[in-house]
Amino acid sequence: MIGMRRRKQAVAERGRSPDRTEGPGLKVEDLTLYFRSTAGVVQAVEGVSFELVRGRSLTIIGESGCGKTSLARAILRLLPKNVHTYRGRVFLNGVDVMKFGDERFRKDVRWTRMSMVSQAAMNALTPVVKVGYQVAEPLMLDHVGKKEAYRKAREVFNLVGVPEAFMDRYAFELSGGMRQRAILAMALITDPDIVILDEPTSALDVLTQANIMNTLKKIKQDLGLSFMLITHDIATSSELADEGICMYAGQLVEHSDGQRFYREPLHPYSQKLMASVPTLHIEKKPEFIPGQPPSLINPPTGCRFAARCHRRFERCDEEPPLFEHGEETVKCWLYETG
Amino acid sequence: MKGALSRLGKYTGMRLVFLLLSVVVAVYLTVIIANMGGELDRIVEAQIRHEVNLQYALDPELQRLPPDQRQAMIDETIELELRKRGMDRPFFPQRSLDFLGEALSLQLGRARLITSDTHSFQVSAIILERLPATLILFGTAEILLFFFTLLMALFLSRRYGSVLDKLFISLAPTSAAPGWFYGIFLIMIFAAALRVLPWGGMAPSGVQMGFNWEFVSQLLRHMILPVTAILLSAVFAGVYSSRTFFLIYSMEDHVELAKAKGLSSRGIERKYILRPTLPPIITGFLMLLISMWMGQIVLETVFNWPGLGQVFYQAIVMNETAVIVGVIVVFGYLLCATVFILDFLYAILDPRVRVGIGGGR
Repeated sequence: MIGMRRRKQAVAERGRSPDRTEGPGLKVEDLTLYFRSTAGVVQAVEGVSFELVRGRSLTIIGESGCGKTSLARAILRLLPKNVHTYRGRVFLNGVDVMKFGDERFRKDVRWTRMSMVSQAAMNALTPVVKVGYQVAEPLMLDHVGKKEAYRKAREVFNLVGVPEAFMDRYAFELSGGMRQRAILAMALITDPDIVILDEPTSALDVLTQANIMNTLKKIKQDLGLSFMLITHDIATSSELADEGICMYAGQLVEHSDGQRFYREPLHPYSQKLMASVPTLHIEKKPEFIPGQPPSLINPPTGCRFAARCHRRFERCDEEPPLFEHGEETVKCWLYETG
Repeated sequence: MKGALSRLGKYTGMRLVFLLLSVVVAVYLTVIIANMGGELDRIVEAQIRHEVNLQYALDPELQRLPPDQRQAMIDETIELELRKRGMDRPFFPQRSLDFLGEALSLQLGRARLITSDTHSFQVSAIILERLPATLILFGTAEILLFFFTLLMALFLSRRYGSVLDKLFISLAPTSAAPGWFYGIFLIMIFAAALRVLPWGGMAPSGVQMGFNWEFVSQLLRHMILPVTAILLSAVFAGVYSSRTFFLIYSMEDHVELAKAKGLSSRGIERKYILRPTLPPIITGFLMLLISMWMGQIVLETVFNWPGLGQVFYQAIVMNETAVIVGVIVVFGYLLCATVFILDFLYAILDPRVRVGIGGGR
């Protein structure tokens, strides 16, 4: 019951959020990232395009290994050494930041305009420096004075719900949830436009997860920034989503409005994925998808999901383009128009 | 705060007690081993008996005495000689404990056969005389080695997989051979074949030791080969292991986050890689520092370097207990002090240790 009420409330909040406008935000065009490996070239991210207006939030769901984290890293240009191909365009507030050199990107984009809370945030704080310094550090790198940086750090500590006294502590003296919040504070301190959250709650217990999700919702409302939430946790993520993206085998297969996405997804894969979420009160058996995602080293031609798809037909041997379906885009022949 | 201080005091006290206890045990073991578990006393006693008998046999005056009286006098002299050396008492436990007490209070005593260059039998004089030679050679080598290894390892960890990196990795097994091994080849090449560098020693005879230009320049010339030998034997494996250490550490999540935060690669290295790995690095450095006190027996012999290692070797060969125990006890105290200092450095450098000592919150 409580869940239902919360969902309604979330829907109401979403209703108030601004409509799509040509304003500040993130636009990704044909972003592609391949890695070299001993077995061959891994096509981790393949031609992903989407647009996210500032103030709206986006969730990206998909199975493990479908390229969600790689997409985040490609956007923030946090690449390992074995990159094979890295191309595409990333517009931030209308400026193509892919054209920036590494040094300019580091100074003007990464963490200043776009920050990230990474997957393994539990160990992401160094044990030998006080938490407060680590949180204030991004500002000090921007040549903000130490005093001002600490003042701002106190502000974001309050914002994310960590007592100010914790600034003087070390990471190992904080609980997992507090550490996660401290990193969130670090991500917010530069007033970025976009914060990418890469499975921010997957290492935490359910109560702490809910707590942090509520904090995120509040922050989103107060600051009007955009969250890009990458997660496996479909149930929890639905509360934050203005829009939803589903990825499969390195490709974007569906980009829909949040309500639509979680209620009646379009792509057969999204449908199956939503159906796999166990529900507590409704008599419904969680479904699973037979088989496993294809290898990204030699992905199948045609639709990559075809082999596991319950609605497969002849057209699926060809690769589908992204079809417009009302407001939504979906990469599936079922929605072929005209 | 007061509670934390008293805890700190208690911790420090306990640490000191345990460290000193280990020095006592180490020195006592050395005393027993160097005296061959008391067997050495019997050898010395036999020597004394032989000498006294010889003395009486050779003295015509004493030969005229009746045999009974003569034997009595011989026995008395031997008795006196033994008592003079304290050998009338058993080795276990009295004499060994006496040795231990003297060694620990740094009354290093007198050598039987070895002397210093100033013809002193004082063990402290012998050690102090040899120490500067050892310190200057190994100090130079170890400091060069430490900083080169550290900087090179950082450099290679930044570009692992490069040609230089592969070169260092493939050369790492060469460190299996000790320094003197390379020393022999260096002497063959640079002293014997090319005749550009001296064979060994610290300076040619006749050069006045001290802070004069001639001596210093000669010393530097003589140090080139032994220092190179030490470096050759240690540098590749050292760089390899440190570079791997840094490489593993630079994949830690907080280094990754620092990268994402927009720190420059230099900033990441300083604050997020070197800073947390400082404790093991400092340990390595301090251990190097004390290891150089002992010198290296074979290397100093190959290069005829008048250091502590050489005199230690002589002492072992000549059963010179006092010198062996003297060197060990000095070394033991140094090691103990180093570990004690390290404990405090760790507490300063690593908050996890500091909070542990302070008793946490």
